[in-house]
This record gives sequence, C-alpha cells and structure tokens, in this order.
Amino acid sequence: MAAIELEGVRKQFGEVTALEGVDLTVEEGEIYGFLGPNGAGKSTTINVLLDFVRPTDGTARVLGHDVREESKAIRERTGVLPEGYDVYDRLTGREHLEFVIDSKDAYVDPAELLDRVGLDQEDAERKAGGYSKGMAQRLVLAMALVGEPDLLILDEPSSGLDPNGARMMREIVREENERGATVFFSSHILGQVESVCDRVGIIQDGTLIAEDSIENLQEATDVETTLTVVVDEATDAVVSAVRDVAGVTGVDRSADELTVTCSDDIKMAVLNAIEEAGGEVEDFDTHEPSLEELFAAYTDGTDQPQSRAATASAEGDA
Amino acid sequence: MSWDVVARKEFRDALRSKGLWVLSLVFTAFFVIPAAAALWFDVGIRGGQDVGMQLLIRVIYLNIVTLFLPLVAIFAGYAAISKERTSGSLKLLLSLPHSRKDVIIGKVVGRCGVVGVPLAGAFIVNALFLIASRLTFKPGLYVTFALFSLVFALVMVAVAVSISGAVENSLYSIIGNMTFFVSITFFWNLWANSIGDGLWDYLGITGAANWTTVLFLKLLNPSQAYKTIMNSMLGDGGNAERSARFSMFSGANGSEQATICNDVLAGEANTTQTIFGGTQTSCLETAQSVPLYFSDGAALFYLLLWIGLAAAVSYYTFNQYDL
Repeated sequence: MAAIELEGVRKQFGEVTALEGVDLTVEEGEIYGFLGPNGAGKSTTINVLLDFVRPTDGTARVLGHDVREESKAIRERTGVLPEGYDVYDRLTGREHLEFVIDSKDAYVDPAELLDRVGLDQEDAERKAGGYSKGMAQRLVLAMALVGEPDLLILDEPSSGLDPNGARMMREIVREENERGATVFFSSHILGQVESVCDRVGIIQDGTLIAEDSIENLQEATDVETTLTVVVDEATDAVVSAVRDVAGVTGVDRSADELTVTCSDDIKMAVLNAIEEAGGEVEDFDTHEPSLEELFAAYTDGTDQPQSRAATASAEGDA
Repeated sequence: MSWDVVARKEFRDALRSKGLWVLSLVFTAFFVIPAAAALWFDVGIRGGQDVGMQLLIRVIYLNIVTLFLPLVAIFAGYAAISKERTSGSLKLLLSLPHSRKDVIIGKVVGRCGVVGVPLAGAFIVNALFLIASRLTFKPGLYVTFALFSLVFALVMVAVAVSISGAVENSLYSIIGNMTFFVSITFFWNLWANSIGDGLWDYLGITGAANWTTVLFLKLLNPSQAYKTIMNSMLGDGGNAERSARFSMFSGANGSEQATICNDVLAGEANTTQTIFGGTQTSCLETAQSVPLYFSDGAALFYLLLWIGLAAAVSYYTFNQYDL
C-alpha cells in the first residue's frame, strides 16, 4: 500500500491556482524528498495531506485513508513538522510534548525525545515563547516524533537550523526510516534532499514536473555543471581540445573566455586539455546548477542551462 | 473524544495570561463590594433580613453579572482561535489527531474553566460576606444563582469562541464580540419593540399576538433570558414565573400591561392606585400556568440555544476554513 497517493489534486485560492492536478505516490518505507522553489505548491500539497486546506478537485489518500473523510485517523499515525507554525508562548517545552503525548495517547518520556533533538532539561522547563527559531524547530521536531508515527511529514525541516542542527535532522530522518517510518519532506535546497532521499519529486508552479530516483537526479545535476575558463589566448586548437574531452557537452567561446558545459567530475580533465593544447589558464570558475536551472532542464527535456549559457555568450559578443 | 485534551491545554495556557487575572480580580472586587457593603453598613438592622439576599441579588447582582461577566467571557474567548490562526500555532494543534469540532469544544470548555475558576472564587468570597452579614443566607438559592450565572458565562464564552473561529483575525473578533455584547445589553429591547411596532403598523398584527411576538424576541436575548429565569427563581410562590416575565414589560402602559398579563401570560391583571395618584398593574396567579413557551424551562432552552447557534456558526466557518 502506498503511504501517500495524490490523484489529480487541484487547489484554487480565488483567482490563484496553487496546484494544478498533482499526481504523486509515496511508497511505504521510503524517504521522499519534495523539492521546489518557494511558492511552487509544496506547502499547499502538505496542507492538503493534513486537511488544512481542501482540494478543489482530485483525491488524496494518506496511509489508506481519505484526507477529507478520515483526517483524524491519518493524524493519529502521522508526525508533522509544519511550515509557518508558532509555538505556544506561555507553555514550556515539556508541556508542549505532554500535550502531544496526551493527544496521541502515547507513552513516551518527554525528556528522552528532547534529548534526541538536542534540547536540554533547562530548555524543557522554559516557556517556549523565549525559544530561538532553531530551538522551536527542534521542539516541534520532537513533537512530530511522539508515538513512533508511521509517517513523518516535514515541511522545510532544516529552516532555522544551523549546520549541526541540519545534520541532526538528517540523522533523525534516517533513524526514523530505519525504524520503519515513511518520510515525506519538502525543501527548496537540493543538497538537503540529495543526501537522504530515496526518491525525489520536483514541483514547480503547482505541477509535479518530475519524479525520479536520487541517482537519476544527480546525473541530471552533473550534466549541467558549467565551467568558465579564462585563457591567455583561446585558439581553435584549445577549443577543439576541450570539445574532445569525454563528457563535455558544449563549448562556447567569447573572446578569451570559454564556457564549458560538462559533468562535474571531469573539470580537471578539461583544464589539463587546455594546457596541453598550448593554452594557459588564467582563471576559472565552476557554476553548479541552481535549482531553477535543474527545473528548467526537467521541464522541457532539453539541456536548458547550456542554451542559456549560449545566449549569455552571444550577448557578450554583441 | 479528544476535546478534553484540548480543554486542558487551553486551561493551562490561558490561566497564565496576566491580563485575564487582572480582569478576574477586578470582576471579583466588583462582585464582592455590595455584599461587603451590606456587612459594613449592617443592612437589615431595621428588618427585611429575610428577603435581603434576594433583593441584593435581584437589584444589584443580576446587573453586575449581565454587564461584566460577558466582558470577562469575551476577554477570555475572543482570541481563542483567531490568535492561533494568525500566529500559526493552529497548525501544530491541527497536526495532532483533533478534529476541528474537538478544537472548538475543547476551547469553549477550557476557556469556560478559565472564567469559571475566578467566578467560583468570587461567589465563595461573596458568600462569606453574606453569611457574616445580618441578611439571611439561603444556600439553595445562592447555589442556584451561582449555577445559572455559570451557564450564562458558558453561553457567552461559546459565542466569543465561535466568533473568534469565524473571522480572519483577533481585531475582527473583538469588534464582532463587542457588537454582540452591546446589542444584547443595550439595543435588544429597542429592536424587539420596533419589530412589534412594525407588525402593528404594517401587518396589522395587534394585541396579544403582537405582545407574544415581542416577549418571544425578548426571551431570545441570552442576557434577558438569564435575568428573567433568575428573577423567577428568586421570587416566592407559584406566581414567580409569571411575575418575572411580566416585569419584562415595565415600560408598557396600563392597558398594554393588562393585555400582556391576561392574554399572553394567562394571568389576571390587577390595577391598583398608587399613593402618588398613578396606577400600578400587577399580574396575579390563575388556575392556568404560564404558556410552556414562556416558562422558565423554555427561557433556559432559548439561553442554551445560543450554544447551538455558536456551534453552527463554527461549523460553517471554522470547519470550512483553509488554514
């Protein structure tokens, strides 16, 4: 059985279409990264799963339950770290957890959970109104973990966390997954998704534009690395030498600057080829593909970043 | 059933609001002043000890309760949902296995507890003063007064919370709540009478039918329903219910009052000369009882109807709302 199943989910807020027919399936036991720029529809999708917003069209099922009809049953087995939340200022960290434990009829020691997310005893007794953003994020993560949920829905879980916190978050995601939980989390940062996810869905402008395994995604990422090299003299010999390097998909020359599109791991080979052909590298710069470019690559299937680079160099000529 | 978990959280949370404590203290102080004064000035020394407590409740306490208790209830409930919606903590709450119905019920019960605790305190302190005073303390009657006041508070909290769930933010909620408060406190009778006049002028509905409508409208006001029930409870004898309803028309003239007594309340109007030369109409007991729809039970039903109305408003607004 699939943990999450969306079929043709559309959501209209007045004139604005937030989701236009999203089909998405998350299998039980996998870690699914939900990737997209801000405003693409990630949170709206998550809000549909939790019955925070009601879809205009389409059906959504979570853990086998309809999101509209049996939302409570879903939330009994789901741990959630929502986006744009606020904690209860006047309640302490421990009281927050006790509230969740009571709500879910769970038997857990709050101290244990707080320890897991890196909040100490002193923090636990303080009112959450005085917490920093990162502490609040840790507290809400601990709340999501109460009762060993079958599904974890984490909306931008690393926001507000420092690098250590982000690492802890990834560790917890892995641990929970090993325990048997399905994890669905959204992010607008490629790196966060890459390191933990089994599968990735990419959403843009309310449409799921790609669903892929992490390997395929990485491949797509590599293809689009752009290397900009400034040489003393960009001769034809240099250009053709670069073009001959296996893995190079495009070379553009603009005065003494070469823009090379290649996979990430052959950058050194390209630089060596230039030197061997008699060119002298004065400066070079690599440009990792941005998420937007990755989306572009996925949206029309052509190698968008390369053609964009070509356009840029053409403009440089003029 | 999970509203009790929400109610406990609400109680814990709201109990720590300093503003609410200050308001409760002010309310308690207000509440205790008349009883303290009765003790201090040794009220009842020249007789009247026996009905003194009833009189004190009727003349002073019912007004304190209807004027100030709604304000405490509004303060306790107006932000119950709107604040959580604006801040985003509602997302944490609804991520947990609580339906929106559970949330509304839990909020009403929890906030009612927050109002109820200081209210109970005020009633106890007040009782001590009354017991110490010369006035005869009637425990049964006093507890009745306390319980109906709590029911009234519950209704007001339910309305405040449902308005809070129906609107966008706490500002709109306080505006809506104050509009409701001012309406039931100051304008309701004016509207009820205007509707009566309109029926008379435009539809030709006169006499008993007209007054029946007006009384019915008056009883729909939660504040007046509470007052007239209490007046009936405080009165002695079998005619207390009728007298309580009849006294809601103190502004009507003699012949109107006679119609109201005879034809609307199934009583017998008795007009007497006052020592100042005017007349005074009272409504006496007959073999018949007050019509069922104007009885104390009915008034209580109309009062509780507001909880139903609040629930319906919540259902069609908060329940449908996209977070």
